[in-house]
Amino acid sequence: MDSKIFSYIDPSPPAPADGGALSGKRAAVQSSISVKGWPTEAGSRALEGFIALEDATVVERLRAAGAILAGNTHTGELGFGLAGDTASQALKNGLVDVTLMTDTLGEGRVAAASAGVFGFKPSYGRVSRFGLVGLVPSMDCCSILGKSLDDLAAFLEAVEGHDDRDPSMGDTPLEAFRMGRGSSPGSERSSLSAGVVVQSLESLNAGGRKVFEEALRRVEKAGIALREVQCEDFDLFRIVHNVIGSVEASSSCGKFDGVRYGHCAAGAKNWNEMYLRSRGESFGRVLKAYLFQGAYFQFENYPAFERACSLRAKLAQAGRKWLDGVDMMILPTRCAAAHDRPAETVEQVYDIFPLTLPANVTGQPALTLPGFLPTSAGDLGLQLVGPAGGDRLLLEAAGRLYPRTEEAR
Amino acid sequence: MMQNGRWDCGNVSMADAGKEIHLAGWVDALRDHGEVLFMHLRDRSGIVQVVFSPEFTPPEVCERARALRSEYCVALNGRVAERAPGTENPHIETGTLEVLVQDLSILSRAAALPFGISEKAMVAGGAGGGVDSVAEELRLQYRYLDLRRPSMQQNLAKRYRIIKTARDFLDEKGFLEIETPLLTKSTPEGARDYLVPSRHYPKHFYALPQSPQLFKQLLMVAGFERYFQVVRCFRDEDLRPNRQPEFTQLDLEASFIDEEFIYELVEELVSRMFAVGGVTLPRPFPRMTHRDAMDFYGTDRPDTRFALRFVEATDIFADTQYSIFKQILQRGGRIKGINVRGQSEKLSKNVLQNEYAKEIVPSFGAKGMTWMRVMDGGLESNIVQFFSEQERHAVLERFGAQDGDVILMIADSSYELVVSALGQLRLHLAERLGLVPSGVFAPLWVTDFPLFEATEDGVTSNHHPFTAPHREDFNPSDREGLLDLRSRAYDVVVNGEELGGGSIRINSKELQMKIFQALGLSREEIEEKFGFFVRALDYGAPPHGGLALGMDRVASMILGTSSIREVTAFPKNRSAYCPLTQAPSEVSLAQLEELGLLQLGEAKPIPGVQEQQELIETLSWVSRIGLETDERPAILSALADARKLAEIVESRAGREEPLFAPLPVANRMREKGPAVNSPLAAGGELLKNAPAVKGNYFKVASILD
Repeated sequence: MDSKIFSYIDPSPPAPADGGALSGKRAAVQSSISVKGWPTEAGSRALEGFIALEDATVVERLRAAGAILAGNTHTGELGFGLAGDTASQALKNGLVDVTLMTDTLGEGRVAAASAGVFGFKPSYGRVSRFGLVGLVPSMDCCSILGKSLDDLAAFLEAVEGHDDRDPSMGDTPLEAFRMGRGSSPGSERSSLSAGVVVQSLESLNAGGRKVFEEALRRVEKAGIALREVQCEDFDLFRIVHNVIGSVEASSSCGKFDGVRYGHCAAGAKNWNEMYLRSRGESFGRVLKAYLFQGAYFQFENYPAFERACSLRAKLAQAGRKWLDGVDMMILPTRCAAAHDRPAETVEQVYDIFPLTLPANVTGQPALTLPGFLPTSAGDLGLQLVGPAGGDRLLLEAAGRLYPRTEEAR
Repeated sequence: MMQNGRWDCGNVSMADAGKEIHLAGWVDALRDHGEVLFMHLRDRSGIVQVVFSPEFTPPEVCERARALRSEYCVALNGRVAERAPGTENPHIETGTLEVLVQDLSILSRAAALPFGISEKAMVAGGAGGGVDSVAEELRLQYRYLDLRRPSMQQNLAKRYRIIKTARDFLDEKGFLEIETPLLTKSTPEGARDYLVPSRHYPKHFYALPQSPQLFKQLLMVAGFERYFQVVRCFRDEDLRPNRQPEFTQLDLEASFIDEEFIYELVEELVSRMFAVGGVTLPRPFPRMTHRDAMDFYGTDRPDTRFALRFVEATDIFADTQYSIFKQILQRGGRIKGINVRGQSEKLSKNVLQNEYAKEIVPSFGAKGMTWMRVMDGGLESNIVQFFSEQERHAVLERFGAQDGDVILMIADSSYELVVSALGQLRLHLAERLGLVPSGVFAPLWVTDFPLFEATEDGVTSNHHPFTAPHREDFNPSDREGLLDLRSRAYDVVVNGEELGGGSIRINSKELQMKIFQALGLSREEIEEKFGFFVRALDYGAPPHGGLALGMDRVASMILGTSSIREVTAFPKNRSAYCPLTQAPSEVSLAQLEELGLLQLGEAKPIPGVQEQQELIETLSWVSRIGLETDERPAILSALADARKLAEIVESRAGREEPLFAPLPVANRMREKGPAVNSPLAAGGELLKNAPAVKGNYFKVASILD
């Protein structure tokens, strides 16, 4: 196996549990997802040399269902952005059937779209985040990338469900996810409809719009009725995500003290200098700028954070309103222009994810589908966003779009 | 119709049948029927169908026509002919005829289009194109193509007609159009100025005018008596969806006049402009004092197309036992309501309680809303049981209630909050219940504005400091007295939108100085900012007054467009950016050098830079993240971005309760039983990841040196 793709490869994977639903399936996780005894550095010097002491809940459940964990893949610094990320390559190169990624801005979906595979971000609260190295707790999610919808559904079914160790899952469990196995995933509901967010198309160039319109025709042919939906505040998602995300990142990175684990600067004369230097050396340029933005809102302009949360409430309400009358929203996963250069500023990181981050802000499930939006800049990915808890609906709808024999391999 | 030997496409008529004509324009649409090719040719005047067919078109011309694509610029000769019965096109003016082409020249080719331009279907019943689904950013980037569309051509032509009508009318009334400078003096009042650096006076700046206010008053002092100007004004304000950094005003001012002159003049002016769009405005415009507007509609620009006027209910509940009202009234509060007549079917208990009382009204800032449905001559509600018989009776009578009505009340200790929330509720209900009649225009004068508004430590002008007060015998240091003063200002409002406003001005130096004094300006400040103007008042300034109308808004309303960008040829986008020219843009260092801007920070530190550096230090310290010198520029720029985000959040935030997580965070309790150490701690595993350990402890640097 390829160590350019894997950060750690399990030399002797434990024998898989017999007869599980995932029996014989090969999986990888990002190095931000804890596997007991494995290096789990999450692409960050702040976790230099860290060996996980416990399995993440998703890992425990994958193994219980019979999946074989091959290793963990390289990840962007603490999962923020895609610089250095290799999760989708493991899949593309056929090394595994499914890979799990953390999704803060839409990393899972954008990586999947670029690689031409399926990527699914479940509803917030459906999959336990225990054991994930998070950055933005109210938006992070464990997303699932795979080459077939069946694999996505099977893995989701295996890892989802209540976990006492994750207090962000809420006390009212979401309706359990069950996909009728064997039957065609598209057979459950007779009529489906989707809303096209007009404002989400502003990021497309003329060519992108053309393929998007062609994709919409295919969607309509598959029996999904389309309607245009206006979202005047679409530009606010990114702004709200940046304000709230930076504050939560600044707060959740407080735990990296260079004492219990991670990098510790040598020769510091006193306690404060040790913190300043260790933490100063632990964070890369882009993440550091993000953490300073968060500190600014936390310590110098807290009202702006509260207003952003108030806007988040408004956006969540609006999100429910748009879904009033349609089953899901439909939009591209990524815009072509942003990928030519590596992101060097927070703004450039956000430039990559304007179309995926709304689902992180609202906690809605979102699915990216390959093969619909081929452009000279690669596959843009066709994204479906459903109502919170409506994970199954999304997978069913996607099933209709792929005649069984032609499903992407 | 012919000019320079060229005929207008849109004006060819059946009377021209049989004539050989010459046309030029753009290919609007093509329809290929094998041997025969139909084309819509478009010029400014309209569209005509032309036909290429081997029957009457020479073979080489037919061949050339095969290369045609949308928006090619072409010229052609042909013969006008009646269309065969059944092939007429009702979508275009010239739909009964066509031009049989004999010669064609391609004047200029067009590349593949970023979006469709054609709006007219080529066959009866066909669907016309439109740009509703095209991203506005793209339309603005290729504005010259967007403007080719007949609807945009018509918008700008109508806008021209509207402004010409205004010019003609004012000319008729003896007004002179006089230009005032665009490079003027910066005055820090009002919105932010756009600044223009001066090359001849390094480190000095002109400002672009926010309005020609002082210049037009000086023209009155100069004895022109009646002035007007169609003038571009500039304001560097926060971004709003329907706002432009530069906009066009119809600015006017006249001497020896009073309010009645302005009302009469402006009503005629506005009516004539609306007539261009086929709208007849009712005259005279009703007048409403600012106080009545607030009292009955909760806004200074009421939409009077529908009723739903507020009813005062404070006195009804003076002795109430209903505890919520009682407490509010004890704190000097107010209760007002509206009667939504005959809507009890649409406003069910569920809608009123769960939507309006719990969600909608709180988002307007009120703590709650009281609702009552009128049934069988009585009141039905969740709280009416707490009202006395007398109170119930008084409510029915005061609101003129009949069966099927719904009475809504808002109570609060603050009058401003009651009327503002009720005003927003009024608009919400009108929209939801379809109470706003379409095609109706309701103009209105709002008058007698307060002269001043309260600030934290004093007062500020509600309009501007040159507006005349109703009374001159006020004490400039009595804050309460100042806040009671009314001004001679007036706004013209149509359908709840302010189209313009103005006032009778101060023409006495003493009074003007008294107003400045009330605003807390020192003699030095007055001299520095307004010295030139105050001096002019020393030389026989006539009584005068005027008004300015926002022409972009006027044109947009007359033409019923969705935004003022639809009536502006080259607007900026919502972010005050021009996607076409990509302005604003960076400029070369040489340019900055020439303007003396490079050294600006040396003599006088640029405000903010020092603070920014200090801010970085503070944030680095409180979040305990060290910084290398070469990392600072990136952090500075990220913090500048953060401030911009804060500004946007500030300008767009509503009153929604903050949402901190998608799901409510759950409490997790430890299971009952004795507390035990984590097995990971007991087994020593927790120490295994530590960079430094001493014995059974994490090793850290000492707290002090």
